[in-house]
Amino acid sequence: MTRYLIAECALNLRILFRQPGFWVPTVLFPAMLYSFFGANSGGGQWAANAMASFCVYAVLGVGFFQFGVSVAQDRESAFATWQRSLPGGIGVQWVARVVAALFFVTIAVVLVVVMALVLTDQRPGAAPLARLAVVCLASSVTAIFMGIALGSFTPARAAVPLANLIYLPLAYLGGLWVPPMFMPDAIAAISVWTPTRAMGELSWAAINGTGFETRYAVILLGWTAGAMALAGLAQLREGRRA
Amino acid sequence: MNHTATEYPIHARGLAKRFGSVQAVSCIDLDVAPGEALGLLGPNGAGKSTTLSMLMGLQHPDAGAAHVFGHPAGSEAARRLTGATPQASDFPDQLSPREILTYTAARYATVPQLDTLADRFGLGAIMDRRTAGFSGGELRRVSLALAFVGAPKLVFLDEPTTGLDSEAQDGFHAAARAYVAEGGALVLTSHHWDEIEAICDAIALIDRGETVLSGRIGEIRARASVHRLSFGLPEGYVPPEWTAAQHDGDSWHIETDKSDDVLRRLVQEDVPFADLTLRPIELRELIARIRQEETTP
Ligand SMILES: Nc1ncnc2c1ncn2[C@@H]1O[C@H](COP(=O)(O)OP(=O)(O)O)[C@@H](O)[C@H]1O
Ligand SMILES: [Mg+2]
Repeated sequence: MTRYLIAECALNLRILFRQPGFWVPTVLFPAMLYSFFGANSGGGQWAANAMASFCVYAVLGVGFFQFGVSVAQDRESAFATWQRSLPGGIGVQWVARVVAALFFVTIAVVLVVVMALVLTDQRPGAAPLARLAVVCLASSVTAIFMGIALGSFTPARAAVPLANLIYLPLAYLGGLWVPPMFMPDAIAAISVWTPTRAMGELSWAAINGTGFETRYAVILLGWTAGAMALAGLAQLREGRRA
Repeated sequence: MNHTATEYPIHARGLAKRFGSVQAVSCIDLDVAPGEALGLLGPNGAGKSTTLSMLMGLQHPDAGAAHVFGHPAGSEAARRLTGATPQASDFPDQLSPREILTYTAARYATVPQLDTLADRFGLGAIMDRRTAGFSGGELRRVSLALAFVGAPKLVFLDEPTTGLDSEAQDGFHAAARAYVAEGGALVLTSHHWDEIEAICDAIALIDRGETVLSGRIGEIRARASVHRLSFGLPEGYVPPEWTAAQHDGDSWHIETDKSDDVLRRLVQEDVPFADLTLRPIELRELIARIRQEETTP
């Protein structure tokens, strides 16, 4: 079991690591975009919020975008079908995927923080950073399950455009690029229900050392549960179709 | 559970599978005895691959049931005992055969015999190269090794030698025979009769989703021991009518299950034959004859 898990993780990490098309956009882009657009957003709380926003954006990129695309591609691959004929439960394969995703999320988030330390005069303490790490971890779970749900219902070729179509507006709606206070009223009304806004709010609270709002924690949990249910439904459907 | 069911590598009854409007498989019965190699024969679209998918548990039959060593097809216990080639060789480009084989062995919780596999399937030179850019034949050889790397007791091979050069085909035949000789059971689909004869001791003929003929090759041969006499005749000479001999532009051929009598009579009648050969007819011809006899009363 442990050996299977290690082998499965090694397989996933090897495939992703040797694929610059995966890790350049998902791991390097958040730090790069942060350097261009986030690092010069003034000082104090603005700067801290911008850093936290791009950390959440990194989480979303790896978790939602890449997961969605790779799950969709897997369903159409004969190799993935053949893997189902091997001994060992399917659960381990999912755990390994999550481990691989968390690995890349960590690198992407750390890069954003490093850019913040290099390019700005922010010096966040260990406690806010630890709180931010916890929020990123929780957000990863949501993003990964949303990715699985998307990938389970879309053909491989539609997955990339569809993921973009959801992921970029979600980042905007969540206030990761433009702070919510600058949003038009209509957008702001939608914003408060998005998973990205919940992630954003929790991350800003984390880095500013203010209290987490229960409302956003509940919204994030709701999206996680919904995505899990969709992903589970897709698995059931897959099982029946076979 | 009865004893025979547990012992039998495959025991399947009444398998059926429909895809939309296509009845891919309508009624398949299959048995594979311990240490037996079964060849699945049939035209394209007959339902061979669909049958294998159901035996591997990748697809649920609409009707019927399949057991592998007494375990339901596709169950963890069944999967632990079986190996198979992937349907298409679309391995992740970023991995080498060594990495894919090691991963697969880990799933079976076995130690991979990489040197033996490299030897049997000619992987020596490509073991550590990434599979991106592999030729069709190289990918096929990796697929074959994957079926065996988990030390399974039963192996499914769907058209295993498609795309292999004749040297690699011979290598595969030797590997398959060695596996069967060591007690492994095997199910093979193939369009090559010589391949089936080289490896299998039993066959099942599938046509339009049904098993139309099955049995051990030895018994089928014994059931109708038809021989073919081939010989030449001098210019302008034709064989007597009772022989029903056919000319193929080169020599004359007589197919008969009483070759001794035919030969005696040819000698008695002083037929001036030359270069006479006598051999059992090929399995495919024999089966065509049996099926013809069954359908035309
Ligand atoms: N997944 C599928 N969806 C729809 N039709 C299928 C599917 N798989 C097989 N078929 C059809 O079922 C029939 C049997 O196919 P198959 O088992 O692949 O035959 P064989 O392997 O003997 O050539 C064919 O007509 C094929 O087109
Ligand atoms: Mg086929």
